[in-house]
Amino acid sequence: MSALLEVQGVSRTFGATRAVDNVSFAVQPGELLGLIGPNGAGKSTLFNLIAGVMPPSGGKIVVDGADVTGWKSYDMARAGVARTFQIPKPYRQLSVIENVMISAFLRERSMAGARDLADVTLSDLGLAPYRDRPASELTVGLLKRLEVARALAMRPKLVLFDEIMAGLTPTEVGAMTEIVAGLPAKGITVIWVEHVLYAIMKTATRMVVINRGSVIAQGAPAEVARDPAVVKAYLGEEMQLA
Amino acid sequence: MPQRGQISWFEIVLFTSCVIWVAFGFAPALQDVVVLSFLFAGLALAWNIAGGCAGLISFGHAAFFGIGAYTSTILFQSHGITPWLGIFAGAAAAAIGGAVLSLICARLKGPFFILSSLAFAEVVRIIALNWSSVTGGAEGLSIPPVPDVANMVLGSKPAYEALTLIYLILAYAIMRWLEASRFGFYLFAVRDNDDAAAAAGINPLMVRSSAMALSAALTGVGGTLFAQYFLYLDPTYVISPELSFQFALLPAVGGLGTAIGPILGSFLITPLSELLRANLGNAAAGLHLVIYSAGLIVVMLYFPSGIAGALEKLKSRKPRP
Repeated sequence: MSALLEVQGVSRTFGATRAVDNVSFAVQPGELLGLIGPNGAGKSTLFNLIAGVMPPSGGKIVVDGADVTGWKSYDMARAGVARTFQIPKPYRQLSVIENVMISAFLRERSMAGARDLADVTLSDLGLAPYRDRPASELTVGLLKRLEVARALAMRPKLVLFDEIMAGLTPTEVGAMTEIVAGLPAKGITVIWVEHVLYAIMKTATRMVVINRGSVIAQGAPAEVARDPAVVKAYLGEEMQLA
Repeated sequence: MPQRGQISWFEIVLFTSCVIWVAFGFAPALQDVVVLSFLFAGLALAWNIAGGCAGLISFGHAAFFGIGAYTSTILFQSHGITPWLGIFAGAAAAAIGGAVLSLICARLKGPFFILSSLAFAEVVRIIALNWSSVTGGAEGLSIPPVPDVANMVLGSKPAYEALTLIYLILAYAIMRWLEASRFGFYLFAVRDNDDAAAAAGINPLMVRSSAMALSAALTGVGGTLFAQYFLYLDPTYVISPELSFQFALLPAVGGLGTAIGPILGSFLITPLSELLRANLGNAAAGLHLVIYSAGLIVVMLYFPSGIAGALEKLKSRKPRP
């Protein structure tokens, strides 16, 4: 099986700081890859490099066999890579359905088609009751769900989730975990950056741990959690895993 | 939220009354004011495509107005091309100007974009002022006041009322189409959040340039109509910052990003400013501007989302079925 995403020796420097340093890993179709690391490890930078927000200073990014290094956000979106934003970025003056329709236009060019796709996505995520509400009225938990809805309405091959659990109540975390866990079965590969570790440890099929810009461990969640390097990176604290 | 792209009964009644007003030639003394109200409503709608829908607040739209007016007038005077065709040439020239402005200012947002749009219009004005061999410089250009429908010199005020009303309804139809189209949604997306739009596969620069080009083209059409109505144009008025501010002010008063707002803004502000000028202009110099500005401040204070926003609020106060 050829990898859906290959990150090959990717680096990114900001002035003298190496935020991401020679990172390599691959994601197979159908995987649910957890990407974790302590604060400032370079997760967000790596995430932004894959999403096309900024070009890497070195290395190569390959999606589905095509070299996409240096592609812009919208090129990546068109290539089938969707993303969410850690701090939700809704279209504030638009309604919830309109927010999702804008993503749906990527696959459905007509208004009616996009509306149908958006409606299906909204009900999948339990957002149907908020369909016609302005996005500006949503709570943080709902905005996070809207982020996921927008990404999924693009019918992506690969979706990048950036801390979609932060700020959610335990019930909401449970509901969201279920949604994410169901994606590989729908043919959507997931890379998931998360701080709420118990959610990701339960769900991910594989973990990549980075610290100080480099990969320090990868493998099955339970394996990674026992890895001394990982435990040390999290300041020696014992991780409580559900 | 209101369904986008739908025409309300209020709007149908409003347009029908406008058509009846024009058809019966009501209030001959007010015909100047009516022509200007229609024309500026269309111009406000044109500005609103960039400023209200795409978030490109421009204080330089007088440049596109001037480009439209000069293009059709120069084509008519030196090449004998009728303004009925020149109006399209003017729109095209203005669209190119709009695309150039948004490409130059691609990286600028908010106040920086506003300032560069202002500077852009000043550059256009200075070019028009100094390129006298083509534009007539400060003396301006005049169109012979010989009524001839073939040359868009109409001779009667109700005819101009009809022409500017058609322009207004055209601009309104474009706005309603935008609201209910993919392209319009893209405009709203780049206005509300650039990063999110890019993540959804939208190229924000392309969308902004297209919005600006469309807005500029429609503004250029207004410029030609203005030239054909006054039969005279000079850079000091048609490319003035005051005019640019007026284009931005009318939608802001009426309701940014809405279809009816710019029309209401013009129907309120244009007669107010024209009548104040006519009646108080001689009594005390500047008094009409003081009253006009005080009125604006009151509107901005109490109706921050414009007249359309205030009406919407009134409607939603009523219990829903």
